[in-house]
Amino acid sequence: MKKKKIKAKIIVVSAIAIMLILVTVFADFFAPNDPYTTSASSIRLAPCLKYPFGTDNLGRCVLSRVLYGGRTTIAATFALVFISFAIGAIVGMLCGYYGGIFDKLLMRIADILLAFPQMVVAIVVAGILNGGLGGAMIALGITMWVSFARLSRSHTYSLKNQDFIKAALFAGKSDLYIIAVHIFPNILPPVLTNALTQIGTTMIGLSGLSFLGLGVVPPAAEWGSMISEARAYIQIAPWAVLYPALATVFTIIVFNYLGDVVMDYREA
Amino acid sequence: MDEKLLEIKNLSVAYDESLVIKNVNLDIYKGEVFCLVGESGSGKSTLIKSICRNKYAKITGGEIFFREQCISDIKDKEMASFLGCRIGLIQQNPEGAFNPLRKLSDQFNETVKSHGKKLDKEKLNRIFSTLNLKDMDRILKSRPYELSGGMNQRIAIAASFILEPELLLCDEITSALDVTTAIAVTDELLRLKNDMNVAIVLVTHNLGIAANIADRIGIMYKGEIVEIGATSKVLENPQHEYTKRLLQDVPKLKAI
Amino acid sequence: MTILEGKNLSKKFIDKDKEIAALSDISFTLEEGEILGIVGESGSGKSTLLKVISGLVVPDEGQLIFKGNEYNGQKARDTGRFLQYIFQNPLSSFDPRLSMEKSVLESGRGKKDLVRLYGILEEVGLNKELLQRKPSELSGGQCQRMSIARALYSGADILLCDEITSALDVSTQAQITKILHNLKDNGKLSAIFVSHDIALVRMLCDRVIVMKDGKCVEQGICEDLISNPHEEYTKKLVESAVRQSI
Repeated sequence: MKKKKIKAKIIVVSAIAIMLILVTVFADFFAPNDPYTTSASSIRLAPCLKYPFGTDNLGRCVLSRVLYGGRTTIAATFALVFISFAIGAIVGMLCGYYGGIFDKLLMRIADILLAFPQMVVAIVVAGILNGGLGGAMIALGITMWVSFARLSRSHTYSLKNQDFIKAALFAGKSDLYIIAVHIFPNILPPVLTNALTQIGTTMIGLSGLSFLGLGVVPPAAEWGSMISEARAYIQIAPWAVLYPALATVFTIIVFNYLGDVVMDYREA
Repeated sequence: MDEKLLEIKNLSVAYDESLVIKNVNLDIYKGEVFCLVGESGSGKSTLIKSICRNKYAKITGGEIFFREQCISDIKDKEMASFLGCRIGLIQQNPEGAFNPLRKLSDQFNETVKSHGKKLDKEKLNRIFSTLNLKDMDRILKSRPYELSGGMNQRIAIAASFILEPELLLCDEITSALDVTTAIAVTDELLRLKNDMNVAIVLVTHNLGIAANIADRIGIMYKGEIVEIGATSKVLENPQHEYTKRLLQDVPKLKAI
Repeated sequence: MTILEGKNLSKKFIDKDKEIAALSDISFTLEEGEILGIVGESGSGKSTLLKVISGLVVPDEGQLIFKGNEYNGQKARDTGRFLQYIFQNPLSSFDPRLSMEKSVLESGRGKKDLVRLYGILEEVGLNKELLQRKPSELSGGQCQRMSIARALYSGADILLCDEITSALDVSTQAQITKILHNLKDNGKLSAIFVSHDIALVRMLCDRVIVMKDGKCVEQGICEDLISNPHEEYTKKLVESAVRQSI
């Protein structure tokens, strides 16, 4: 009963999320103007028919830049979450399954990484790497895999002591087989749910770094860097800040909510 | 016939929205030991739960009377004057009955106080000694997590007897215990019962225990009491197919 | 013929800086075609003994011998060739995400012989359609019979049964014991049957070992031991059990 309700919620929210992704992936198709064309004659235009979200300080179409920027943000976020997930899950499963010194060492490293606020580590690392999208991703990824690793480790650890793993041992199965066939599919649901909830924070992280000038470098469009550029003239052209900010907030809410309902579904 | 203590009339109970008890009739008499035997899913525990107002066991039909007063449709607040005080409950896991980290003396005092009584140390001492619990003061100073399962179960029994109930409902109280401990606990329970003249309803999956302590036995199967009667009658001359099968399936030791 | 032998097995665990002797100096023999019972209460070390025999736990001292060959120190992966373990909780003995068929076939070590498997399923009284189901779609009794089928399919000589009926109802328990009985009568089974229930052991086993605190209290022919126990503890155990049976 309750589960059915949550399921309906999941369908609605994931439909919105998929629409968001599609709109940004096909930005070329939806964008009314070229996001990089500057025009001295149309700087800081208020929203109108030709420029539905107005234009920025260089006369570029804000709507087109929001759409293209969304592509960068969403693609980078997904790539980052996926890579962190893969690394974290593998490390976590190996630690949980084998235990021992390798496990202790890695988990202490994880503790150290978690001792600092994620954003502080990210700013320092991105600064050292001199910005750029790749740099920003590495900076965020350095702490992000830890949550996946810890989660996979704890689930692997409790699975490892279950009787069906022992039964597989009596059947002569190798460690690799046991991890691939028995452990990975069983830890996947909780870890995937965690991945969904990470999407929102990662987006904030990426946009935040770009805002600080440590992420995507102009003229490439990215929500954070757009807000950063346009805030200098926020009183003259508030739309140039408002729309990328709204896009960020909306996207983060959608993905966070998706993560939440999926979590609810699994617990219900 | 003796005085009727509890009377269950045409009771139907739903657990988690599915009907698990269908039209059960049951009378419990003063001072008797009644064992309700059934396998998992037979509804035996749900029956107990429905008497105690467990929120998952919803009564969908029928009535329960305690000393001729209907207790199945009174408000929860009124019911509180019955539960614990006149109708005691002991569950399978003694750990669930206490806060594991609080001193037992505090918990005892609180239980008694909440029913408007004062803790009678002398009475508690008598109960403790009947339960073979030595050194009451030391036990009362300890916390449940420091004690063994058998010990905790004995203390749970003591806690329900201190309120001098007229009826004690016991839900699988020995199934988490070892054989030797289980026998000791049931022996002590019966001794207390005789001292204080309490009627006992013992729910168990273990026909052997029932056979050894019950005055009357009820066999529960798929939400219905399929057979009920004096222990010797049920064991020696079972009527229902299910009872016969159950008697056949139980590993036997006595006929040596 | 002795198929399995344990000599002077000892195992200590360290718990909160205290050494606990889970097993001290236990010796036993298992004859071919026999079911050996091990009875004890919780904490008696009966499960530890079974884990030591199976290679899940390595003993501190002692010898383990299968058909005259010592196999000390071998882990479950190797001991699985000649012995199989059946666990107390049938549901957790199977991967919740795999079909029964996949799980059961695993024990064949790469050899897939469905005809033989169907034959085994018939012996344990299961319909072969159940193979397509997941463990959560089976009852406890069906799941436990599937465990027995998996153990038999592996072709192992010995079954180690660790309280395999204590999570089940009496009627289901009766079915499982019947299956083991039939297997034994057909000469297909040598097994060690660990249980807290002396009445059950009596139904199934020829000889029994009574354990307490990691030690062997008494051992002998089941009937003799129950009707005429020598040790104080055995007397108490039998008496308690008698008073809980019919």
